[in-house]
Amino acid sequence: MATALIDGQQVDFESGETILEAAEKVQIKIPTLCHAEDLSIYGGCRICVVEIEGERLLKPACATKISEGMKIKTHSPKVREVRRNIFELIVASHDISCRLNCLTCSRNQSCELREIAADIGANQTRFDPIDKGYDDDRSSVSIVREPNKCITCGRCIRKCEEVQGVGIFTMANRGPATVLTTFGDKGMGNVECTNCGQCIHACPTGALHEVYHYDRVWDMLKDEDKFVVVQTAPAVRVALAELFESKPGTIVTGQMVAGLKRLGFDRVFDTNFAADLTIMEEGTELIGRIEDGGPFPMFTSCSPGWIKYIEHFYPEYLENLSSCKSPQQMFGAVAKSYYAQQHGIDKEDMVVVSVMPCTAKKFESGRGEMDQDVDFVLTTRELGRMVKEAGIDLVNLAEEDYDPMMGESTGAGSIFGSSGGVMEAALRTAYELITEEELEELDFEPVRGAEGIKEAEVEIKGMTVKTAVASGLSNVGQLLEKIKNGEEYHFVEMMACPGGCIGGGGQPIPTNQETVEERMKAIYEIDAGKKKRKSHQNKEVQQLYEDYLGAPNSHLAHELLHTNYIKREI
Amino acid sequence: MARANLLERLHTIQDTYGYIPENEINKLSDQFDLPRSKVYGTIKFYSMFYTEPTGKYMVRVCDSLSCHLNDSEGLVTAVKNYLGIADGETTEDKKFTLEVVECLGHCGEGPVMMVNDQIYTYLNENRAIQILKDCM
Ligand code: SF4
Ligand code: SF4
Ligand code: SF4
Ligand code: FES
Ligand code: FES
Repeated sequence: MATALIDGQQVDFESGETILEAAEKVQIKIPTLCHAEDLSIYGGCRICVVEIEGERLLKPACATKISEGMKIKTHSPKVREVRRNIFELIVASHDISCRLNCLTCSRNQSCELREIAADIGANQTRFDPIDKGYDDDRSSVSIVREPNKCITCGRCIRKCEEVQGVGIFTMANRGPATVLTTFGDKGMGNVECTNCGQCIHACPTGALHEVYHYDRVWDMLKDEDKFVVVQTAPAVRVALAELFESKPGTIVTGQMVAGLKRLGFDRVFDTNFAADLTIMEEGTELIGRIEDGGPFPMFTSCSPGWIKYIEHFYPEYLENLSSCKSPQQMFGAVAKSYYAQQHGIDKEDMVVVSVMPCTAKKFESGRGEMDQDVDFVLTTRELGRMVKEAGIDLVNLAEEDYDPMMGESTGAGSIFGSSGGVMEAALRTAYELITEEELEELDFEPVRGAEGIKEAEVEIKGMTVKTAVASGLSNVGQLLEKIKNGEEYHFVEMMACPGGCIGGGGQPIPTNQETVEERMKAIYEIDAGKKKRKSHQNKEVQQLYEDYLGAPNSHLAHELLHTNYIKREI
Repeated sequence: MARANLLERLHTIQDTYGYIPENEINKLSDQFDLPRSKVYGTIKFYSMFYTEPTGKYMVRVCDSLSCHLNDSEGLVTAVKNYLGIADGETTEDKKFTLEVVECLGHCGEGPVMMVNDQIYTYLNENRAIQILKDCM
């Protein structure tokens, strides 16, 4: 048996095998069009071209035999570009009237129009598409609206108003001139939009999608002077597989880590580590408030959709917010200080990328208070797209571990992705820190589950700690009204998206009750399977305090891990 | 407050300011407990409300069926060219706002144009432009 290298992976092959066949054995998918397994090789379309070291021309993988010592790149930037050019020529040579650009549409995998066309057996389109000539709304740093793809179904209007209690969209004009717009036609970035992205899940077409960062992340990965680290949010690992035809709730933590390493990230770290860190800071802050008698309730601060919501709609409660940055931002701040220093990496050369279930995280990373600690935010969908573009058969990869120093996490960090998870994680740690006794029952059932508002009372050292949890902004609004009317709580967890981050605006489509519940089960399964389930048991977090931060809420911790908020107009 | 009152309030504001200013929309959204996008959408649904200040002279040209048959289209084009604005826009000097409208109720006498409260019938392009010139 002979060996060769495909994308840095060693592959054994029998003589006579093609590059295409050999690549499949190391989980690399090369796109093909004219090739079919049961037919003779043709090699005509050239969509499968690859780069072979030492050869001037790209070669079609389906028609080229692999030989001893070959070094092959199947998805290098050059190959990807050539493939796209070839594809354009193929499409252009056909009589396809693709005015709406289904091929490049954000929803080319999940378009409901195409689904319906199939369901009803549509077999002709007799009318030319109408060129409405609207400009795209690119005013938001989180979400793009392409009104020319809008079918004015109004689903986003109702989602934003009824489920999120915000009401950003309206129809204007009448008859054929009817158009979806925002207050004063100002655009999503100039109104009280929270960037939660729930409207994307409501939209049947490609009229709404996130602002893409993946192209710039590709550039960073290509740039050899950059040290590119990536962090993955708790909710991504239980949803990513859906983009590769797996069941909702499939856990692919190790496969995702392996995939990110193949994409070329220099370090693959875990936002769950930063979630444990958040609990140390936020738990300490809560204990401090209990000692000082307030201000109560203390609100969690990890959901940037919720943060923008309170800044617009309830600024009178800003001092109730925990001053803790979100785990994403804590991660960025620690990576660019602690990690960079310990490894002699210049902060300027370090690029921090996040993979988030969330569109609002894109806005958060650009907030002035955040100091550019996180450079790029990919949604779960964008990561799926990059993995596909690189030809990685993700779900079948061998599992790999996160890199050390910022890769360890406990069960408590894992459940941050679900509504009620931050509360539960904080209670586990606060209980033990206050009582100095071991907590016997770790599962706080009353704060679990998909309900919009949950309440629980917890006895800690003779004190009844009253807590509440809300997810989905209209539930959040309801709970705030209750508080305004005198209801008292000590600690309240708020998340903008229904079900928490597992239902985030950046998650695979469809994100609905069913998929959210499956993802939630998976999150608690991860927690139950962990040996350590309390944030203060995280060894790497302990190490971070020992080597760098000192103690929770120390001066340095405040500087790096805490923030402030601003009142925003409506 | 009942939503039916919203239209009445919009009329009052329009009459007072000649348009519906942004801060008035914000107030209405508070009072009626509606997202301000909804109030905005309501304003945009009815052609008689404006979100920008209108000109001193409101020029309405009918382009409904009967007038259309009498070449109101040519009239509309002439007025647009003369004022240098499109339907719904206001001239830079804030003198004229143009509205191409449905039936002004003088269908037998088309084409028809209205300047503020004054109706002009049996128009041709030259006469229409003379009327606008006289406003200057
Ligand atoms: S939303 Fe429109 S452009 Fe996008 S895939 Fe569907 S039909 Fe094509
Ligand atoms: S992102 Fe959220 S708040 Fe903004 S328009 Fe969409 S649903 Fe509404
Ligand atoms: S949900 Fe999508 S298609 Fe429907 S109105 Fe909103 S943007 Fe348009
Ligand atoms: S689905 Fe029934 S009217 Fe739209
Ligand atoms: S059609 Fe023009 S006034 Fe009636």
